[in-house]
Amino acid sequence: MSQIALFGLIASRMMSMQYYFQYYVAGLSVMTLYSAAIFIGFDIYEEAEHGVFEYLLSLPVSRRQLVLGRSIGGGLRAFIYVGPLIALSLYVIGAINPLSFLVALFALFLFSFGVSGMSITLAVIIKSSDRFDILMGVLDALIVRLSTAMYPLAVVQAANPLYGGLATFNPITFAADLFRWGTGIEAIITPLSNPLWPLLGIIAFFSFFTFFGVIIYDRRIEGGGWQ
Amino acid sequence: MSAIVHIVEYDFRNFFRYKWWLVGMISMNLADLFIMAIVYNQMLSLKVTEQIGTYFNFFAPGLAVTGLFASAFMIGREVNMERRREVHHYMLSLPMTRMELAIGRVLSGGIRGMIYMSPLLLTCFIFLGFPTVWQLLVILAVLFLLAVGISGLSIAIAVSTSSLEKFITARGLVYYTLFFCSSVFYPLSLIEGLGRDGKFPMVLVTLAEVNPLSGASDMIRSFLLVGYPPFSYASILNVVVFSAVFTFSAAFAYIKIIERK
Repeated sequence: MSQIALFGLIASRMMSMQYYFQYYVAGLSVMTLYSAAIFIGFDIYEEAEHGVFEYLLSLPVSRRQLVLGRSIGGGLRAFIYVGPLIALSLYVIGAINPLSFLVALFALFLFSFGVSGMSITLAVIIKSSDRFDILMGVLDALIVRLSTAMYPLAVVQAANPLYGGLATFNPITFAADLFRWGTGIEAIITPLSNPLWPLLGIIAFFSFFTFFGVIIYDRRIEGGGWQ
Repeated sequence: MSAIVHIVEYDFRNFFRYKWWLVGMISMNLADLFIMAIVYNQMLSLKVTEQIGTYFNFFAPGLAVTGLFASAFMIGREVNMERRREVHHYMLSLPMTRMELAIGRVLSGGIRGMIYMSPLLLTCFIFLGFPTVWQLLVILAVLFLLAVGISGLSIAIAVSTSSLEKFITARGLVYYTLFFCSSVFYPLSLIEGLGRDGKFPMVLVTLAEVNPLSGASDMIRSFLLVGYPPFSYASILNVVVFSAVFTFSAAFAYIKIIERK
């Protein structure tokens, strides 16, 4: 909230872009959703440390159900956490088309589950909470900054074509663009030519990390392999 | 004096246990500079560009100061953990005076901040140009005072909060208020303009003006950038006052609070 009230308000005065404040507020919601969904990976380490992992493995659910449940749970709780921020974004921006907004909200749900799946997959692969913490920090820095969460794609491309190329295929870009499209602010600033493209990107991201996560989880945890 | 050196050594050993964490933090800071600042270069309004030049050059000194702040603040987390795990009883049993213990902790927090900040400051010099020897000495002296003040502030918060959650909440409040109500990310004139237009509380405008992070960032900029902002003794005075207040409050709080059962 303070980032909106302080950084967003002051930085918008610095920019040549009209409606930067609204643009930033929408991007901040997606950035926060990403950071909140990542937290499930840290929970896995805590569970392993406290022996809860064995209890979870002993439950009468398949490994696939377990990892899917964790991904959805992690995504859902991140969504609840970011709910007030999304509501504030809507207050600041205002949704023009409720149908588009519902599509955008659905895409954010999938994005959130996908990020949780990614976090679980990486946590199970890395197996060291310190390394995971560092990797998540670096990944957060790169994935958020090389996206359209804080600036439009055309500006990123003008600044550096490599950055622009990376930002084009970034799941945060997909989520931020769709959220702005859903609220209508995208149409004012940088019209989204086809919302289907980012939606497909998010579905691919979600599918990859959820199903890849299931396979990795399955292979890594048996026989204390996660330790 | 040797007791203080022992305390500094103890805190240094703890600091370097997190070397990979530090590498991660520095890469995040550099991502801010080499990605965010470069993209923001393209977005600045003409008026702001005329005032500050490129955002990259403007932000580089601010980034060194934010790095200094974050790393000098880390000592608070350790002091808070020691208090929660009652390691402070061991610290109090050491053959040294309470004052030596307190000064050692504040000083080591400050030196750790300086070490973490040095690659960021060097990056700033490489891209903006090197200052003269005297300017460099002034920069290092002011940043050291700032680091000691921040370390003191974090220790004062750490000993006054009983749980990690309370410490993290207080740290978040201090971080965001001091970072965003300062000239680290944007020129002070923008905040003052918002205040004059009635869009920003005057109390926050005043905070931004006296904020030691603003003072330190603007002082480095005044040496390295041409024309903006002008050098001001008041900014150095703000840092000195901040440092003096928080070093002594932290030492006092540390001595008084950790002796309580």
